[in-house]
Amino acid sequence: MSSAHVTPGSVPGPKLAAHFASLEVQKHAARLGMWLFLATEILLFAGLFACYAAYRFLFPEAWAASSRSLDLTMGTINTVVLITSSFTAAMAVHYAKEGKNAMVGHMNVLTLLMAVGFLVIKFFEYKHKFHIGTLPGRYYFYEGIQLPGAPLYFTVYFASTALHALHVVIGMTVLAFATVRAYRVGDFNANNYTQVELGSMYWHLVDLVWIFLFPMLYLV
Amino acid sequence: MAIANESHQEEHNMQEHHGAGRYVVIWVVLLVLTLVTVFTGRMHLPSFGLLLALVIASVKGTLVALYFMHLSEHRGANRLVFGVSIAFVVLLIGFTLMDFGTRFRLANPPGSQYSDLQAVDIGANPTEGRTGGHQQIQKQGHEVHE
Repeated sequence: MSSAHVTPGSVPGPKLAAHFASLEVQKHAARLGMWLFLATEILLFAGLFACYAAYRFLFPEAWAASSRSLDLTMGTINTVVLITSSFTAAMAVHYAKEGKNAMVGHMNVLTLLMAVGFLVIKFFEYKHKFHIGTLPGRYYFYEGIQLPGAPLYFTVYFASTALHALHVVIGMTVLAFATVRAYRVGDFNANNYTQVELGSMYWHLVDLVWIFLFPMLYLV
Repeated sequence: MAIANESHQEEHNMQEHHGAGRYVVIWVVLLVLTLVTVFTGRMHLPSFGLLLALVIASVKGTLVALYFMHLSEHRGANRLVFGVSIAFVVLLIGFTLMDFGTRFRLANPPGSQYSDLQAVDIGANPTEGRTGGHQQIQKQGHEVHE
């Protein structure tokens, strides 16, 4: 068991900050901090989910009609893209533990490419909505659905997908830093992979939010 | 000392290396569940469609959290934080819906399912719906300028 203890200095790893008892405790603290941050992110999106629940409860017909006006094919492709990018992000952590820095970089590049693909598809969906007029509030001018509450659906749609897209961009930035480090410095190993791990956790949260947004907005 | 033990346990679990096969399995399961939810969603099941979609999404979310985010290998504090955040999401949405479900009928917004005031009653053109009034004002404005 004692061999599992990480002694700083024996294997190249991160610096041990003076206020931590050991490297294990330091890593544990990093993960706990990330989980706390992710909890606040979950609650941030929960506010929008509550809006969705409240207005869906009040305007069920407008909700059903509006959700059918979305492009299900594009939504499904985006879901598959995001789930696959989550898989490659998890593989990056897997390779970081093995110290295969080139593979960490490749996996992150794949993740970033899929993230760009997600945003491109999202852009075309938005463009279509601006064209036909399924827009929030008083900017709504779509003739096809004229029900009370339909503009509210698109307020919730745009607010939640735009906030999610912002998180995609933030996640891409975080992953890009880990990618550059994997290629340039290449010092990720079994002792030192916290940066890849936490970046990947953030990416999984982006995926997690979309897993709920997709059926809520496109399917039911 | 408890925290140090927890850190040690977590480190031990995270170091214990398992193959990439586990991630591939989770990935495939997530893709299959996506197809299932699209398929059942397109059937537009009347009563339990929403429930089914949310159950499938919860299963997918749990898989992501447990295996991609390594929650299955984390201990104590991390699980507590995640669990508490989910509990508060349920509280927030649950109490919001309980409020709306038990409201005095007239307190519901006009035009909503539970209101006596529908689009016609609040001045909107019944054929043009909710935005009828708004567009009407714009049309009149143009006429005045001309």
